[in-house]
Amino acid sequence: MRVFLRYAVRETFSNLWRNRLMTLAAVLTVAVSLTLVGAALMFKQSASQASVVWEQQTKVTVWMNASAKPAEMSSIESQLKASPYIHGTCAFQTQQQSYHQALILLPESMSSVLRVQHMPSAFLCVPVVPTDASILISTFSGQPGVLTVTAPIKAIHQMQQAIRVVQYVAIALALTLLVSAIVLILNTIRLAIFARRREVSVMKLVGATNWFIRMPFISEGFMQGLFGSLVSVGLLVLLHIWYPFTGNEFHLSTQDLVGTSIVVVAVGVLIGSIGSAFAIRRFLDV
Amino acid sequence: MIRFENVSKTYKNGTVALRDVSLNIEKGEFVFLVGSSGSGKTTCLRLLLREESPDSGRILELGRDIGTMPKWRVPYLRRNIGCVFQDFRLLPTKTVFENVAFAQEVIGRPRSTVESQVPQILELVGLADKRNNLPSELSGGEQQRVAVARAFVNRPLVLLADEPTGNLDPTNSEQIMTLLERINKTGTTVVMATHDKGLVDRMRRRVIELDGGELVRDQLRGVYGLDEPAGGF
Repeated sequence: MRVFLRYAVRETFSNLWRNRLMTLAAVLTVAVSLTLVGAALMFKQSASQASVVWEQQTKVTVWMNASAKPAEMSSIESQLKASPYIHGTCAFQTQQQSYHQALILLPESMSSVLRVQHMPSAFLCVPVVPTDASILISTFSGQPGVLTVTAPIKAIHQMQQAIRVVQYVAIALALTLLVSAIVLILNTIRLAIFARRREVSVMKLVGATNWFIRMPFISEGFMQGLFGSLVSVGLLVLLHIWYPFTGNEFHLSTQDLVGTSIVVVAVGVLIGSIGSAFAIRRFLDV
Repeated sequence: MIRFENVSKTYKNGTVALRDVSLNIEKGEFVFLVGSSGSGKTTCLRLLLREESPDSGRILELGRDIGTMPKWRVPYLRRNIGCVFQDFRLLPTKTVFENVAFAQEVIGRPRSTVESQVPQILELVGLADKRNNLPSELSGGEQQRVAVARAFVNRPLVLLADEPTGNLDPTNSEQIMTLLERINKTGTTVVMATHDKGLVDRMRRRVIELDGGELVRDQLRGVYGLDEPAGGF
């Protein structure tokens, strides 16, 4: 066993060095392909991150009639307090506050006709989960004193739909790139092994077992995959540093980067070693 | 040691390589396999190395039926068989020493054994001073002697040689034959396929002749061809 291990390690490194051009080709192929895969994955994570942030910002607003009676107001308030679909307590927006908001939002030609006493007051509520918004809307609409209940459900829904499409595209892109990476890496390894089929045939003649022949090739592929994916992780770190969307809802955490890096390294190493084992198979059948 | 029982072999392209061949080779024999190109000599050797399997008939080698031998056992069979080829088949990136040591590493011999046995065998083939040269720096005869050293370093019970002198001049051929004879004297069975009429006639060893895949002659102390015997009648 010791003889075998020493042999395998020595052969691996001497072969990597002897075929350094091929090694370089394989490492670069792995690096470039996996960087693209990793970037697509990070993009997907970033998109789903934004989707979550937007969902959390869903607010339900219960607008009260300007003429609502105090009894109606307190009834709504206590119902809101008791509702299991509401997170925390609702903030109350006075008529005065609504008026100020309208002054900001509307052009002067329109806001100039507004009067404070005509403005609705409102309860601003955060649903426990975003989907509870529609329950709140149906519960409180039409109750005495309630003008209307609104939530930006539709807008958020459309955003999420768009983001979902973007995510699917990113995943499809990552998968396509992964497949092309696998094919490229397999081909590179096959070329390297083809160049050494003579060596393999000599090994067979002197009575080497298949595992003995396979091992240095597999660990060679492993090393190539490892080097390649490490380069790719380096590139992804740079991408993370220079990422243009820091500080908004597309923000990518270090955790996402680490996760992506682990995936990239695992895929690189697996493709390298399994690819080699696969590529050498037909040269072993003598 | 080696026994063919009604062995036939047809290749996938339809070429009949061997037709109902039976023969028996005892331990320690030196046998020439002669015949024109395509007569089945190389197929015989490939069968003995289990690079091919017979279509029908049995081949017994080293006490085993190698036709039914499972694939995983083949490497262990080959460890007891040395082989030498016309084109040497050395690894061009390894030195003389490494080429010979390779045959020992492959079967898991410890380094100390390799360090002591390889120089010995290089001494035997007269290449002790070239141990650090690459094959490309050697003459054809020297390369073939490295190949013989590699084939013999594990002390195989059988040594197969497929036209080992085919690429060599008479002087170098003679050296190789001397080596094979010495190896044979240690008790190793030697089977050599050859075209070299002069060699066969001089050695006067057992000659097995194949023609079109059939065994046409098996003669102790024979010559290359009956139709033109050495020395004439």
